[in-house]
Amino acid sequence: MANSDPPLLSVRELTVTFDAFTAVDRVSFDLHEGQTLAVVGESGSGKSVTALSIMRLVELGTRGRITGGEILFRLPDGAVIDLIQQSESVMRDMRGNNISMIFQEPLTSLNPVYTVGNQVAEAVMLHQGLDRAEAMDRALEVFELVRIPEARQRLGEYPHQLSGGMRQRVMIAMALSCDPTVLIADEPTTALDVTIQAQILGLMRELQNETNAAVIIITHDMGVVAEVADDVVVMNQSRVVEQGSVYDIFERPAEPYTRALLASVPQLGSMAGRDEPARFDLVGEA
Amino acid sequence: MRTAAAKIAQSLGLILAVIVLNFSLIHLAPGDPAVVIAGESGAASPETLAQVRADYGLDKPFVTQLGIYVGQVARGDLGESFFFGRSVTSLIADRLWPTVLLVGTALIFAIVLGVMAGTFTARRPESPASHAVTVLALIGYSMPVFWTGILLVILFASVLKILPISGMHDVEFDGGLLASWLDVARHLVLPALTLGVIYLAQYSRLSRASMLEVLQSDYIRTARAKGLAEKVVVYKHALRNAVIPVVTIAGLQFGALLSGALLVETVFNWPGLGRLAFDSILRRDTPVLLGVLLMAAVMVVVANLLTDLLYRVIDPRIRVGARRTRTKVST
Repeated sequence: MANSDPPLLSVRELTVTFDAFTAVDRVSFDLHEGQTLAVVGESGSGKSVTALSIMRLVELGTRGRITGGEILFRLPDGAVIDLIQQSESVMRDMRGNNISMIFQEPLTSLNPVYTVGNQVAEAVMLHQGLDRAEAMDRALEVFELVRIPEARQRLGEYPHQLSGGMRQRVMIAMALSCDPTVLIADEPTTALDVTIQAQILGLMRELQNETNAAVIIITHDMGVVAEVADDVVVMNQSRVVEQGSVYDIFERPAEPYTRALLASVPQLGSMAGRDEPARFDLVGEA
Repeated sequence: MRTAAAKIAQSLGLILAVIVLNFSLIHLAPGDPAVVIAGESGAASPETLAQVRADYGLDKPFVTQLGIYVGQVARGDLGESFFFGRSVTSLIADRLWPTVLLVGTALIFAIVLGVMAGTFTARRPESPASHAVTVLALIGYSMPVFWTGILLVILFASVLKILPISGMHDVEFDGGLLASWLDVARHLVLPALTLGVIYLAQYSRLSRASMLEVLQSDYIRTARAKGLAEKVVVYKHALRNAVIPVVTIAGLQFGALLSGALLVETVFNWPGLGRLAFDSILRRDTPVLLGVLLMAAVMVVVANLLTDLLYRVIDPRIRVGARRTRTKVST
């Protein structure tokens, strides 16, 4: 891809191990301002671990260790730092502030015992030094930004009172509340039903235009990739097997694995003229 | 409000059932209260016995006696002690607060320390300190109450000589209100410790397991992804969720805690309800025994109502009716 700007985020030869197992093996890619990069691959290919490593969350709550490489991140003031070398307290300043993340399971990703407004305001208070009332105002702002209806009333509700799609909107609101420059979305639509998926993807695309944040979207769904991505990184068995612009990947997939992934998406009309459903070839047999 | 009224009605029914059951069981037990009462006055001739039976209504049929007793209780009258010749309500009133103090202190001590130990060990499950806590919990859990009590008495009162081992006040005590509270507190340490240790061990294991599970949950990852410090993640986001099963179990175990209090009060000569029940059994003082058992049932019921209430405070998902759960609106 032609982009002369220095990258916002540059992952170089990132290697992450879980005990003896190498979950991410020398993975490299760049992310530029306003770009949407899709990291695709099947379960266990290392894409989520890559995302958690950028946040340095892989070392908290899992047995994962970053054993090599660098993650260069450009701060708003232009200085470039290697996130791997930063202390936990610097990373805490980064998380939810410069880089934020949305997770796969909106149903379980919010704390059941606090109101959603509180959970969003908490990040704002932490990073922007606002008091509770100001932070709640900001929470209301981002609730409206992500098109939550009756936003003011929703602030005081608990996660179990909201539907899955609403909860994912809350997660997105939380992620955007401190105006991050990088947003990582780890399978943001996988747990949602198809119509809600389309709404959430549409929302993310609109928000990206409004905020100009760079987005890394992690998915196994080539349909999602086609919908939102500018560029694609294909991962398989801990490694990057192919990367390029979304057009190149869909037009001329170089690797057999990429072709298999693309073949796994059923095409509308491909069964025209058949009387009964046909079985698809399994990935690997293709 | 409707659920609250239903709960109270349910509790009253339960207490009535307890009264009937207790009364029947004690009636079935061998031993004739008339002999005891007459024995107190020295001569137990057949005439005196008949007189005593008539005085106390013991010659009436069982169902009539039961009916009279239930009627009395409904009016707040628990009868008169055979032994003391005082009303049972006044006896219980004297003994109630020492038991509440003992049980309450033991329970709070067990929950607070147990949850702290559980949280600590869950955060560093592989550390030596965590293993030490686990072993201590196992020991505490395995020791019977009276045995723990005797060991603590030997250690603190005989070897170290720093704490009193019997009663609730010093005999030759005089001083201000604060000093008198301190005196009671000093006497309270060993009995409360003895009673609480088993529950402390249980709650530390329980909260450890619960905390380990909660720390793996998605919303903890979300809290970390926000940039919150680990302390805030653990004590604000995880703890409140992890403590829910501990509250459940503590509420359920309140009855067992009360029966543990009987042993502890006996070992430490603590002037509470358990001690009174024990003495009343030895004296065949049925009205007092029935009164204490009823009081225990009431305390268990109240404890369960309080647990329910606390539950609602901790976990918004249980606040049914507090706010109409909105019909889920799809995006």
